[in-house]
Amino acid sequence: MAIETRALTKRFGERTAIDGVDLRVPCGSAFGFLGPNGAGKTTMIRMLLGLTHASAGSMKLLGHPVPAERGQALQRVGAIVEEPRFHDHLSGRENLRIIAAARGPEVREGIGSALARVGLAERADEKVKKYSLGMRQRLGVARCLLSDPLLLILDEPTNGLDPGGIQEFRLTIRAMVEEEGRTVFLSSHLLDEVEKICDAAAIVDRGKVITQGAIAELAGGGARHELIIGVDDAELALSTLDGIDLVRDVHRSDEGLRVVLAGGVETASQVNASLVRAGVGVTRLEPVRHSLEQRFLEVTSRLDAPLGEKEEVRA
Amino acid sequence: MNATIAGQMTGADFLKLRKKRGTLIWALVLALMPLLIFFIVRAAQHSSNPLKYEPAGGLHGYTDALRLLAMFFGPLAAILIGTEGGAGDAASGVFRDLVVTGRSRVALFTARVPAALGLCWLVVGVGYALAVIGTYAFASGSPTPDGALLANGLGFSLLSTGVLCTVAVGFASLTTSRPAALTALIGWHLVASPILANISSLGSSRRIVLSQAIAHFSPVNLGDGGRRGATVAMSQGTALIVLVAWLAAFFALGAWRTRRMDA
Repeated sequence: MAIETRALTKRFGERTAIDGVDLRVPCGSAFGFLGPNGAGKTTMIRMLLGLTHASAGSMKLLGHPVPAERGQALQRVGAIVEEPRFHDHLSGRENLRIIAAARGPEVREGIGSALARVGLAERADEKVKKYSLGMRQRLGVARCLLSDPLLLILDEPTNGLDPGGIQEFRLTIRAMVEEEGRTVFLSSHLLDEVEKICDAAAIVDRGKVITQGAIAELAGGGARHELIIGVDDAELALSTLDGIDLVRDVHRSDEGLRVVLAGGVETASQVNASLVRAGVGVTRLEPVRHSLEQRFLEVTSRLDAPLGEKEEVRA
Repeated sequence: MNATIAGQMTGADFLKLRKKRGTLIWALVLALMPLLIFFIVRAAQHSSNPLKYEPAGGLHGYTDALRLLAMFFGPLAAILIGTEGGAGDAASGVFRDLVVTGRSRVALFTARVPAALGLCWLVVGVGYALAVIGTYAFASGSPTPDGALLANGLGFSLLSTGVLCTVAVGFASLTTSRPAALTALIGWHLVASPILANISSLGSSRRIVLSQAIAHFSPVNLGDGGRRGATVAMSQGTALIVLVAWLAAFFALGAWRTRRMDA
């Protein structure tokens, strides 16, 4: 596991910001830490990185217990916490030299390639105070890459980026995971961002992890597979579908027939074949994509419910 | 942490300070401008009435220049640089990124001290060079300091400013606020210290005033009386203990705060 926490808790006086979080982030994946603003995402990241002390519980980064082996654990970790900050009076390259000096002599050699990787090589010698927010974000990523990280921890990394920058960032993250085998832990309140970048996610609210798992599982909720089928003869199609064992339920909708499958979505082709054999013209066959947003709103809104119902959600 | 990494970290901290143009310019102004004004005014006075006014240079001129540099304006430059070195990372928000490297927080703090001292002593060295040049250029035939005195004077200037600079690094790291640390230390050095040293009812407890202990290491008499410019009588051993206590206390406080603070 790249990250593993057990009953991790952070209290600020009477207020509990992180409440007994158990988290398991597998190596070589992009993992989203999804929650509304104020859910405790940044506090969680700050604890993982040793920026603030945990009140209770335990955690491991890349197999090293933190804080006991914090130095070893962070050797191969890169992180952006909140917005990346720099010494504005220094150039981009000099800012990286500051961090490289603390990481070790061999790291300094990687400054040029890190700057090139994020497309800042040509402007590396300009003072950071002249950089746009997007350039600062890229310089932040370059700073993360200095340590050739096995694990990248990114806190709201696309804040302030324009759509082009966000797209570029997604591609960079996916390449890091798929081509370089790095693990990315990405906190965000943007559902779309997590859904597009991450393989798995945890949904957090008010300091608690409500649910975690693969994106498809989370979005699917109860793993219900549905199809929207467009046909030229709805009555014939309904009667045909009624006789197919693979179909659990079917009803009309504005988009066409909405079919709930008994099996996985891969059975759609068999349903299609049955309809065609019955003489129904199929004009559309589309799996219903349950969005993470639906699931997110579902589970986080349940938190406003009384305690008993919250426990049902957690279970 | 090995010596290479410690050297690199100190070099990185020195780079941060050296490139902070405002701080560097003001430190140079504080170290040089009063000396320039002093020599120009004294030279003008001497040339207008040589019988009434002593030469700007020579042994007397050197003593006055050393007092300006080592006891007043050099320490102010040292405080300016020390507070920047102590609070710069926290003020810029980069401290947390340094913590994320996994390097120990005490090591991060420790690197600030030699970096600040390096720049401070560079600035004070330039100031001292100006004092020596003025001493000889405006001697007008009066006695001049010998090599040993010049060396001791340089050592005293470096000691005086080095102690203030280290205290400033520790105090700024403790407060994590440069404006607060700057105001408090300048207030202490220019206002509170002279007042406390002159309240005779405080007796020997005035020995803990830092500027009084520093003055005991001066190679020349920086004031009236036989205490090398200090108001409070104490042995050199006591003065040394006071200096070490100030250094140790503020180093420890700065390191403690850096280790404990939320980044």
